[in-house]
Amino acid sequence: MGRLLYELGRIDEKTRVANERGSSKAGKSSFSWAWELDGTVEERERGITMDIALQSLSTPQRQVTILDAPGHKDFIPNMISGAAQADCALLVVDAITGEFEAGFDRGGQTREHLLLVRSLGVSQVIVAVNKLDQVNWDPSRFEEICGLLRAFLVQSGFPSSKTSFVPVSAMLGVNLVNCTGADALVLSKWYKGPTLVDLLDKLEPPTREIASPLRLPISNVFKGQSSGTGVTGRICGGVVQVGERLRVLPGDESAIVRLIDVEEQSVPWAAAGTNATLYLTSIDPNHLNIGSVLCPPSDIVPLATVFTARIIVFDIQLPITTGASIELFHHSRDVPATISKLIATLDRASGVVTKKNPRVLTKGISAEVEISLRAGTPSSPALSARPIPLEPFSVNKDMGRILVRRGGETISAGKPISLIAVKVLNTLPGIVLDVIS
Amino acid sequence: MKLVGKYVDKNGAGYVNLRPEDDEDMWHLYNIIQQGDIVRAPAIRRVQNVSATGSTESHRVKLNLTIQVSRVEFSSSGAPSSSADQASSPAGSSSAAPTTTAALHISGPVASENRHVKMGAFHTLDIESNRDVRIEKVDGWDSVALARVEESCVPGRGAEVGAVVCGEGTAAFCLLSQHMTLVTHRISVSIPRKASAPGTSQYEKAMARFYATLYDAFVRHIPYTSPSLRAIVLASPGWVREGVFNAMMTEAGRRGDKTLSKALREKTVKVHVSSAHVHSLVEVLKSPEIVAQLKETKFAREGIVLDKFFKMLGVDEMRAWYGPDHVRLAADRGAIGTLLISDELFRASDPKLRKTYVELVEGVQQKGAEVVMFSSMHESGQQLNQLTGIAAILTFPLDVEVVEAEEREAREERRQQETKMLDGGGAG
Repeated sequence: MGRLLYELGRIDEKTRVANERGSSKAGKSSFSWAWELDGTVEERERGITMDIALQSLSTPQRQVTILDAPGHKDFIPNMISGAAQADCALLVVDAITGEFEAGFDRGGQTREHLLLVRSLGVSQVIVAVNKLDQVNWDPSRFEEICGLLRAFLVQSGFPSSKTSFVPVSAMLGVNLVNCTGADALVLSKWYKGPTLVDLLDKLEPPTREIASPLRLPISNVFKGQSSGTGVTGRICGGVVQVGERLRVLPGDESAIVRLIDVEEQSVPWAAAGTNATLYLTSIDPNHLNIGSVLCPPSDIVPLATVFTARIIVFDIQLPITTGASIELFHHSRDVPATISKLIATLDRASGVVTKKNPRVLTKGISAEVEISLRAGTPSSPALSARPIPLEPFSVNKDMGRILVRRGGETISAGKPISLIAVKVLNTLPGIVLDVIS
Repeated sequence: MKLVGKYVDKNGAGYVNLRPEDDEDMWHLYNIIQQGDIVRAPAIRRVQNVSATGSTESHRVKLNLTIQVSRVEFSSSGAPSSSADQASSPAGSSSAAPTTTAALHISGPVASENRHVKMGAFHTLDIESNRDVRIEKVDGWDSVALARVEESCVPGRGAEVGAVVCGEGTAAFCLLSQHMTLVTHRISVSIPRKASAPGTSQYEKAMARFYATLYDAFVRHIPYTSPSLRAIVLASPGWVREGVFNAMMTEAGRRGDKTLSKALREKTVKVHVSSAHVHSLVEVLKSPEIVAQLKETKFAREGIVLDKFFKMLGVDEMRAWYGPDHVRLAADRGAIGTLLISDELFRASDPKLRKTYVELVEGVQQKGAEVVMFSSMHESGQQLNQLTGIAAILTFPLDVEVVEAEEREAREERRQQETKMLDGGGAG
């Protein structure tokens, strides 16, 4: 990623040289390109990405915002937060013998990442097969990897017309922007297809729901330079303008938008689909948390503690029973929950009910379940759980996607269908109506 | 808990005199006292006297009251939990620590005569530690209740393991004892992610502040000086626990707190868990480091057995059953190898239901199987409760449908025989 940014002129020479010097001093000279995006001390020390990094670049016909996501198992929550903001996926796999297999087999992360990204609504994938120079640009190896991945992508639900494969070598800079130069000779003999940048150019931005009410799930909160708090996130619907008053959910607070920053430039308004940084005033920063949702006071997001959802169960070892305790992921927020009722199993393709009140859910099944949020403590008097802002899939596609994880692996993904125990708030702060059906 | 006096005859009637000492004893009492029992304990009552001239005077009187229990309430923290959960999520800095003393409230009408209070007036007893409580049951002293009393009087407990489950910006301090997991304190700090444009130093500054808050909270809430604390567990996904441990060691060194440094060095166990929530404590109990050290403690045993049950459910569905009806069917056929039962079921207010569960447990024990009683205050008990509170690992596979069909047939046959007899009797 760092190399790509350099080739497209986004990194200046000074930074690049600094990264190179720093990384070779730390004994990690091969990571010099990674240091562009892995900024924290711990990431550089351990040589892995732990949290997402945002960068933007321009290709001839597109403006692309890149979210570099961590691959490590423990940081999947951060990866989910990034993937929830994404329109397309760029999957970089290692071509070295053994490395690809390790990632693609059951225990590796390649499968989990692709399933996650698909569940979050991404349908366009570019697969960059990296480090091909280490296997001497062997075309059969490239074909082997492509074949395996193609089969898996189709199985996971990615339409094959929207997937593409490209061989690259990031270290040498081959086939990123162009396929010329001494290093690229071997590759250019058998590969005549587009380069990575060409493929990025052809990505289609999905339709944006500009007419729907504003929804901005917050993925980051920080203190701005001047007074006020900065929040970052991708706008899931609607338009936001400077000076607008927004509600922050969950909670009773509202804030005023002082500045909007898109790609380090101040703009007066931003529409659905942009990754924007909003600077808010007249709100206590303690009320802004990662995972809160900004919305207009006239059209607030309902808060739910119990809801039904249609889910697809992934390839798991232990079946899901009633009352299984899970972690519910919605954008950048994860909360403990339980699957309180298994309502019915459905046919995967048609959605017709096949069996009511099943005992367990095994892998590959599509089912309708009821999910209840849990309070954090194992104490006997039931402390009611804090509700989360959630909308059914039919209302807003981006707000209506959830992921379910348990024990460190993603077990299923789904869409909320109806909210059962909902707190409906009056727009006047201070008056709250509880509607629990 | 101290057993001061006991008298139970063979029908299960009688009384027991107990003196609770700590939070866990409150939990034991909560499980022993049922609806309909007669409880006698010291209480403070506000008595109003109306004198002849019509002026009222009220004063507080300390007396021993006997009430017939109609409701028992247990809360793990004495301070009432705020009902304003509509309010925004936890503030940036750590919230004030709630008192950790558990509270047990027993309410019911007064059952014995005394000078100040009318018979039948309602009163709520607040059970206090180091005050004798006398519990009398008419027929409730079954094996389960007596076993509980015995268990609670075993000396030498206290918080066994202190655990800190942390993530980036969040931490929950828990004390795990034999029967309870108490979450004593939580911290939630908003940490700006590295994606913030002004620079990555915001992240590091916020983490440093988080470590400092964590240190203060640790010193206040984890009793690292008490000898009964066997281990201090630092659990987290990623590598947060390493950062926490290093920060605490440096801070302890800087402040010159030698006992803390020693305790940290000797007793700390670092465990990797998959998420920063409290329910990952179950994973902590399964990890090899902990199992080696705390094998014989009750909650480790619970965790292991529950894990075995879930594995069995994945491997052979017909050998792992849950739900009261199914487990009863399995018990009738003598198929149970291990019975997992939660104490929540024994707190059922209907005495008949409780009796059936007690019979189930006794039956299983007679056949030589193992019964593991889960405490609802542990995470493993919570998970079992989600699964209806009763589950069994069978020694041989039994298909649910087949068993239910057989039961139905047997019932049909019996009914036919009865009608035949009635007809035969009527005709004859």
